[in-house]
Amino acid sequence: MDELELLKKDWQKQERQLPKLSYDDIYKMLWKKSSSLVKWIFYICVAEFLFWIIISVLPIKGGEISGKGTNFITITDWVLQIIFFIVILYFGFQFYRNYKSISVTDSARDLMKKIIKTRKTVMQYVWFNVGLFALTMVVVLLEVLIFDPPQPLIERISTADSTLLAWLIVGVFFAFSIAFFGLLFWLFYRLLYGLLLKRLNENYRELEKLEV
Amino acid sequence: MPTQLNKELEHKFVTELENNQNIVHKVCSLYTNDRDAHNDLFQEITIQLWKAYPKFRGDSKFSTWMYRVALNTAITLYRKSKKRVRTQDYDSVIFKVKANDYDDTEEQQLKLMYNAIKQLGDIEKALVFLYLEDKNYTEISETLGITEVNARVKMNRVKNKLRTILNP
Repeated sequence: MDELELLKKDWQKQERQLPKLSYDDIYKMLWKKSSSLVKWIFYICVAEFLFWIIISVLPIKGGEISGKGTNFITITDWVLQIIFFIVILYFGFQFYRNYKSISVTDSARDLMKKIIKTRKTVMQYVWFNVGLFALTMVVVLLEVLIFDPPQPLIERISTADSTLLAWLIVGVFFAFSIAFFGLLFWLFYRLLYGLLLKRLNENYRELEKLEV
Repeated sequence: MPTQLNKELEHKFVTELENNQNIVHKVCSLYTNDRDAHNDLFQEITIQLWKAYPKFRGDSKFSTWMYRVALNTAITLYRKSKKRVRTQDYDSVIFKVKANDYDDTEEQQLKLMYNAIKQLGDIEKALVFLYLEDKNYTEISETLGITEVNARVKMNRVKNKLRTILNP
């Protein structure tokens, strides 16, 4: 006889050796907390939404800039704020819809697909915020340099041996800081979601491979 | 009143799960390697089943519905099994083969077989599990979300893989 048939026969005979939980044992489990992947993803995503909303509300935009640039700054700021909130609403809605569509009674493939989609929405949201944050920083910095340059810096640069080189150094320093924070961010997310979704991604890939 | 209804629902659910708990235990022993993890996964599956229960319409059998939720939880939602070490010391209830039932070679073969299954990937395990549970290809394809043809193809591949693990 084929080994597999033998196995099947044996498998179906094993039932009496299985553990047996009582009604009360099972009843108690109903009130335990789930630690499922979806729950984790939900918490982390909500935390991300809140984090970026708080960042945007925090008054980090030192309001002392004066002079002819003020108008321009206010308008840019307003436009950015409006864009920001429209986009947040869009992402929030998408996230809610995707999250709600996750159902444990779907097929395994659909379930995984929906979880991945939910996470993707939030990743897009995060990258949008990172981009916007970087853009805001660049805009603010340019504004400061153009309209209200910090005198000590300007003096130092103009007294330097090579003005161009000094500016270049400032520029490179700035670019490096952005790249550094970008990298930190990327690493953080690789870790956060990489660990969380490693198994799911593997299994999803395996299922996808079946469908080619 | 809702509380009364809830009580009835609870009672109905727990009774059905109690009667069908074998399915969940079998999934747990396939996907975990020690007793703690087994109980953990059992609990998570129970929670998922209970959360989904209000939407269970009864147009499929309770057990059929259970297969899907249990496997989904094991394959996708369960998180604590990250450190799935392949230890053989788990004297899992399922994998203990009774000595008297078989002659030595058969017993030996079965042991090898169960060990081989333990080494498969999550999806392959699910396929083998559904095969061992005598599910037809329609049900297998619906549970995993792949076409019937692909389920068939993949099943044959897994069977061959098991055979080669057994007879290298």
